[in-house]
Amino acid sequence: MKLKKLLALAAASVIALSVAGCGQTTDDDLAYIKDNGKMIIGYTVIKPLNYTDDRGDLTGFETEFAEAVCEKLGVDAKFVEINWDSKESELNAKSIDCIWNGMTITDERKENMSISTPYLENRQVMVVKKENAEMLAENIEGATVIAEAGSAGEELMNSDETFAKSECTPVPSQATALMDVAAGTSDVAIIDYVMAGGSVGMGTDYEDLIIIDKDFESEEYGIAFRKGSNVTEEVNKIITELVNDGTLNKIAGKYGLTELLIAK
Amino acid sequence: MEKWLALIDGFEYNLLIFFGTIIAAVPLGLVITFCTMSKFKPLSYISKLFVWIIRGTPLMLQLFVFLYGPGLLLGIPMKSRLTAAFIAFIINYAAYFSEIYRGGIESIPKGQYEAGQVLGLTKRQVFSKVVLFQVIKRIVPPMGNEIITLVKDTSLVRIIGVAEIIMSAERFSKAGFIWPLFSTGLFFLAMCGLLTLLFGHIEKKLNYYHN
Repeated sequence: MKLKKLLALAAASVIALSVAGCGQTTDDDLAYIKDNGKMIIGYTVIKPLNYTDDRGDLTGFETEFAEAVCEKLGVDAKFVEINWDSKESELNAKSIDCIWNGMTITDERKENMSISTPYLENRQVMVVKKENAEMLAENIEGATVIAEAGSAGEELMNSDETFAKSECTPVPSQATALMDVAAGTSDVAIIDYVMAGGSVGMGTDYEDLIIIDKDFESEEYGIAFRKGSNVTEEVNKIITELVNDGTLNKIAGKYGLTELLIAK
Repeated sequence: MEKWLALIDGFEYNLLIFFGTIIAAVPLGLVITFCTMSKFKPLSYISKLFVWIIRGTPLMLQLFVFLYGPGLLLGIPMKSRLTAAFIAFIINYAAYFSEIYRGGIESIPKGQYEAGQVLGLTKRQVFSKVVLFQVIKRIVPPMGNEIITLVKDTSLVRIIGVAEIIMSAERFSKAGFIWPLFSTGLFFLAMCGLLTLLFGHIEKKLNYYHN
């Protein structure tokens, strides 16, 4: 009996591993998506990119952008919330068809996935309490600084000399980073400018937090598809169309992101 | 090798929280038991309410409450993550321990108290000379169970940014190394193995009536 259970367990793990491992490149990803009649889009909740509005509907810049692209592609957009840490596995296991969620383009990601043309610019900014803003804008020596573990913000925190003399701690998410500053546990949170704009200030629970923009090096957002996918090329064409007919500009304006739009 | 060292560094936090919680929660639990069993009703009700709240909410949420609560509600920021972790763990485990103690104390037949009184012992003497050692003997298995749970619960502190072993291992998985994450299991297994042996030994030692 015990042996049987062990065998079953072993078999289950082999299956689990092989499913996770089948990240082979697809011959015709576009046909695969069109056959399904829908593009499954992996996202996490980031305001103003993908978030639910007062009526409980999913909205945001990325949401509308993706819907516009899918319409031109002739498929439905289906949004699935994912764990950001396992986005690559999700993509390879085909539980999602693309990652469309303010993903910063990096060399490492370019190697593992097929990434669209950059469409939005982002940079890291500091978020602090209003009452400390003046002091911290001048000098953050000795201040406690936090950023999301594994994010571009953490990289900046550990490499930029601005933070060399601060006490730096990685936390699990950008959302906890904000709460940390609001509660006074830390002085400075380093987060995406795009997210900061929609999360702090009037009308949010973080009315006493403000953004300090130190003009750190900018990054670019792209949409990630499976490695070798032919969807990327098709989507790039559609993005150009959407830029030319003004649709993308209109969507960006709706969410206050016009000045960050870089798609051509 | 450096990865193993990083894991060991992380596990030091798990051990620190484990031992800190044991040292403080074992006596604190007893205090809560006495309050719960007190004849003074308001005290008994308050401590029952307290135990209900602590046992009725997730430890993960309590970690957030003790780290962010003071700053958001009282305006006194909690500056140390580790302190918040200690407070949450000690209070949480004291509540569970208190119920184990209560079960142990209430399992002693009333006749023994009466016999003690007949022999002219005071209430206090009956508790410390007659009841206490039997209680200790009876609560060893459930305490062992709870303490082994504590070993694994310590990994929860990563959600408030304390770099315990699983958080250290996740840094490697982001850099493309998967094995450190799964190797963390070995640390917990080793620690729980030691505790299982220790509690087995204690039970054997206390089993003086059956030898």
